[in-house]
Amino acid sequence: MKDMSQEDVSLLSRLSDAVVAMDGAETVRLSEDLLLQGIDPGRCIEAGLVDGMRRAGDLFEREEYFIPELLICSDAMYAGLHVLQPHLPRGAVERKKGIVVIGVVEGDTHDIGKNLVKIMLETAGFEVVDVGRDVAPAVFVERAESVGAHIIGLSTLMTTTMGAMSEVIRLLDERRARPRIKVMVGGGPVSQQFATRIGADGYAANASGAVAVATRLRQSPSELRVP
Amino acid sequence: MKPLDRFVALSLGRPLDRLPCVPIVGNTAARVLGVRTAEIRNSGGLLARAHVAAYRRFGYDVVRVFTDLYVQAEAMGAKVRVPEDETAYLHQPAITSADEVDRLVAADPGKDGCLPAHREAIVRVVDEVGDEVPVTAAVTGPFTTASFLVGAEALARLTLRAPAVVRRLCEVSLETALRWADAIVDAGASPSLTDPMLSSTVVSPRQFFDFGLPHLKRLVSHIHGRGKSVTLHICGKTKPVWSLMVGTGADCLSIDNEASLAEAKVAVGDRVRLMGNVPPVAVLFEGDAASVRNAVRACVREAGDNPRGLVVASGCSLPTETPFANIEAMVRAVDEIGWPPRVTEASV
Repeated sequence: MKDMSQEDVSLLSRLSDAVVAMDGAETVRLSEDLLLQGIDPGRCIEAGLVDGMRRAGDLFEREEYFIPELLICSDAMYAGLHVLQPHLPRGAVERKKGIVVIGVVEGDTHDIGKNLVKIMLETAGFEVVDVGRDVAPAVFVERAESVGAHIIGLSTLMTTTMGAMSEVIRLLDERRARPRIKVMVGGGPVSQQFATRIGADGYAANASGAVAVATRLRQSPSELRVP
Repeated sequence: MKPLDRFVALSLGRPLDRLPCVPIVGNTAARVLGVRTAEIRNSGGLLARAHVAAYRRFGYDVVRVFTDLYVQAEAMGAKVRVPEDETAYLHQPAITSADEVDRLVAADPGKDGCLPAHREAIVRVVDEVGDEVPVTAAVTGPFTTASFLVGAEALARLTLRAPAVVRRLCEVSLETALRWADAIVDAGASPSLTDPMLSSTVVSPRQFFDFGLPHLKRLVSHIHGRGKSVTLHICGKTKPVWSLMVGTGADCLSIDNEASLAEAKVAVGDRVRLMGNVPPVAVLFEGDAASVRNAVRACVREAGDNPRGLVVASGCSLPTETPFANIEAMVRAVDEIGWPPRVTEASV
């Protein structure tokens, strides 16, 4: 890997800009250029793609971008990742902050919110295992145990399915899987009040909030057992 | 006063006994009748009996025949799952790719999906209580129905990648909405519009302008042509699009608890009636009589003096299992405030 020239740095910021500008083709082209220049693909991902997606997330937070814009930005980011990821040296995928199993609970299929949280968690360096939508409580628990997840993220837009969230927590308790596996919840009708009542470890009102909560949950000592 | 008289007085600016109160009861009506939610969805008789029973029990001011947002999309080919005793939800959109958009046709309320059952329910409710209370039935807006036809995430991407396809989807959804609105008026009730996907929680004001406004305008003006006034509900954040919502021609905006009634009053209260916004989950579902009373008083404090009037309502449809005691407490709290609808800090 060569040292970064002024041009390379500007190429990286153009890569970030392409993601923000929702320009998938440009993102792919710049990613290929950067590889040809011999720039570290990990650096391209961090300072280009992830940086762009973070900025898109900020624009979303400020209500300058909305869900369609955020989705198209993420399409661009993933298109760039597709180019860069195969060139990462083995063992370089060590930016994982933790493993999150995420899905929409049984009885609901609204999954945009879940998908946005997934995008932002991946952007922030989490490994996300997406179990999809309309998912039975037991499936969350089984998948979390089989992939060694640190966190289960539960989403719903419907009040009718909120009971399924408590059921996931009950199953985890039954298997004595907590606090090893933490639970965070979110979605339209869900509130901090509800999260506290069902004993969830965290609640987030939106996708960027979810990143903060997941990060906090990973920092708190998971070995600590409450008697 | 009868509910109908309250609305007449409110429109004429005459005194009334209390503000109209509308906890937006949907499947909770099944609970009042003691039947499962799946039973009322496709049975005109039971759906009507449930809503009449709920109205008689709680004494609120609008009967809104509603089970879920999917009845029109389902009548156009979307697959809906109907759990035995929980609210129905979308299982599969009607089409799996934008290329299939030309396969979609508008629904026929006389035969498609559960629209005939809903129509029968409306006729029965109007027959039973229509002389004392406004009877409405939900019409899901074109943009939201479009999201059920192609999938919400696909629709979100299409707004930027293929706007023409979105317009096609909205056009065919609008045709269904127009026919369904006509069927509702023919049955003796008023269409009540809801278009949650246009929320600023989801799309930008620009996208509302491009994909929501033109179709809603046509829908509202059609309903006005049939001699009915129109309430437009949009969930979540809506502040950036209030003036566009007014631009649809709607007579009343129903504001979610994610938005502020006080701000809406200042922004558009001289042009439209406002409806809202007691939190349906945090207060009506999870709270108690005292928190319901506080929330009602907060609404009236914020917008009881709205120039075009206020309907004290829940911010969105109530969860099925909302405790009856909380619905009763909501109507009681509005009763207690009485007329004029003023709440001073001291009385809280």
